[in-house]
Amino acid sequence: MNIIEVKNLSFSYSETQVLRNISFEVEQGTFLAIVGPNGAGKSTLINLLSALLKRDSGVIKVDEKPIESYSTKALSEKIAVVRQESTPVFGFSVIETVMMARTTHYGQLGFETETDRQIVNEALKVTDTDRFAPRLLSNLSSGERQRVFITRAFAQDTPILLLDEPTSFLDYKHQVGIYDLLKKAQNERQKTILSVTHDINLAAQYADIALLIAADNNYVYGPTTDVLSQKQLEKFFDTKIFTADIGQGKFFMPLGKFAKDAGLVKTNNKRQT
Amino acid sequence: MAQLLTKRKLFWQITLALVVLMVVVLCCSLIGTKQISLKSVFARAGQPNTINPDYEIFMHVRLPRIFLACIVGAALACSGVVFQAILRNPLADPYILGISSGAGLGTIIAVISGLSLPILGNSPIAIFAFIGAIGTIWLVWFIGRLAGKSNVTGLLLAGVVVNAFFSAIIMFLTSIAKSQQIYATIFWLMGNISEESIFVLWLAAGLTIAGIVALFYISPQLNALCFGADEARSMGIDTSRTQLIAFAVAALITSIAVCLSGLIGFVGLIVPHGVRLVFGPDHRRLLPLSAITGAIFLTAADTLARTIVAPAQLPVGVVTAIAGGPFFLFLLIRYTRKIGWLNK
Repeated sequence: MNIIEVKNLSFSYSETQVLRNISFEVEQGTFLAIVGPNGAGKSTLINLLSALLKRDSGVIKVDEKPIESYSTKALSEKIAVVRQESTPVFGFSVIETVMMARTTHYGQLGFETETDRQIVNEALKVTDTDRFAPRLLSNLSSGERQRVFITRAFAQDTPILLLDEPTSFLDYKHQVGIYDLLKKAQNERQKTILSVTHDINLAAQYADIALLIAADNNYVYGPTTDVLSQKQLEKFFDTKIFTADIGQGKFFMPLGKFAKDAGLVKTNNKRQT
Repeated sequence: MAQLLTKRKLFWQITLALVVLMVVVLCCSLIGTKQISLKSVFARAGQPNTINPDYEIFMHVRLPRIFLACIVGAALACSGVVFQAILRNPLADPYILGISSGAGLGTIIAVISGLSLPILGNSPIAIFAFIGAIGTIWLVWFIGRLAGKSNVTGLLLAGVVVNAFFSAIIMFLTSIAKSQQIYATIFWLMGNISEESIFVLWLAAGLTIAGIVALFYISPQLNALCFGADEARSMGIDTSRTQLIAFAVAALITSIAVCLSGLIGFVGLIVPHGVRLVFGPDHRRLLPLSAITGAIFLTAADTLARTIVAPAQLPVGVVTAIAGGPFFLFLLIRYTRKIGWLNK
């Protein structure tokens, strides 16, 4: 079953066209990586899919119904969004933050129900954030904080998860930690995950399918192994890229003119041609 | 999950705060130029045809004034809480979007034109101030909406510009006005609590309490809005509706407060921060406790204002600023770890 369907989607900010005629379908329980250079419209796509922006033309269907047929509340029961670094102005604790995912389900007087508590407790356990539940969001490291926002998205209890560069400021340990968390949610709970990322290597390791968008409105969509190829990446990013096989996946390394191994890219390319 | 706010905890904290408010009200009502005691107030209760001056002072002079201070304090504190949340700005106060200059303009127009419309037994100044305040804030909201729908920066800038523009007009009018008129305007602008008619008091109290209840009703949504409108929307919250209710109600109760007592500064800024520092940022608790604390704070400040240089009176705005500033700094140092924006 296709949980997300996008057909001929176009969007522009006043004069600049950001997305042109993009079509793709995502089956329930798949992990989609959205990659591409800055300004290609990756975040715009996330905002269109979460109904924060209105498209110019085309169709977006969520769970086989057009996205505009959903109320804000109904959509929040289908799609949860994790954005880059969002710190509140005032010091909320981890548990308060996660509980906010349940706001629209609160009972009388605006307090959470027993079900809300169970869902939040489970989300905290799954992401291993229960150990810092009482701490303030502002006193956590960015890695821990990002984990809390993923926990909040889990507590929203949605089949779909949208993430906008969830690991951009994180060290290796936390990057891998977050991708493992997402993969686990996909495998164990059939979550559909759409993640915008700049980390091609992690995308290659974790995602099933990939959407590669270019700034000139070109795009490629398909299984990760097909989409993330050296030739395509070099074209889309306009950069020389060294690649090597590692086990099942591939490894990509961008190399500029003055990189120590800049010479490798040339030989690498020659071997292919 | 002991860290979360529960209904029972909130109930007890509000009850306790109300008890403190009662005690403060009682104490303040006995202090003044004429010392009275509860015993003397009710000494001849039940005996008809006798006039007890202490009872008269207590019931018809002190209590109405304290009641007024409570309404104004609660209104300003709550609207401070709300503006800080929807603008996501810790520096926001009830006057940030131009209410003060709008009210000031209304006042000076009333004074200069020498109008006297005795409506509800009130001076035209209050009515003009109310119209000025409400009119200005809707103008700001309208401009802010034009500037960008979900953008609070547009709203803030519109507020700043309208504020500056109206201040310029106020200065122009001041420079052509007579000194007697200017004095009346300035005294009013400094924030001043005096006796009002009982009808006006009940009307203002009813509207303010209804407003605070409405704000409490949207307080879970205000919590989510602290993370930004986009975040709140993806958590399923109708942010335009929440922002509109919050804005309209906060504007209304601020305008009522301004109309009753002029521009009393500091209450709307420091009470919300004080309560937040001690009890945390959850609006379900922040809002009711700020209302009560605002009432306590302004009652105490007004008692000081009318006794400290007795028989003369200070404008209460002077007292709130002088007493509130250092107290706030004390809280800031004592509880700094509790607020997020300082640790960034």
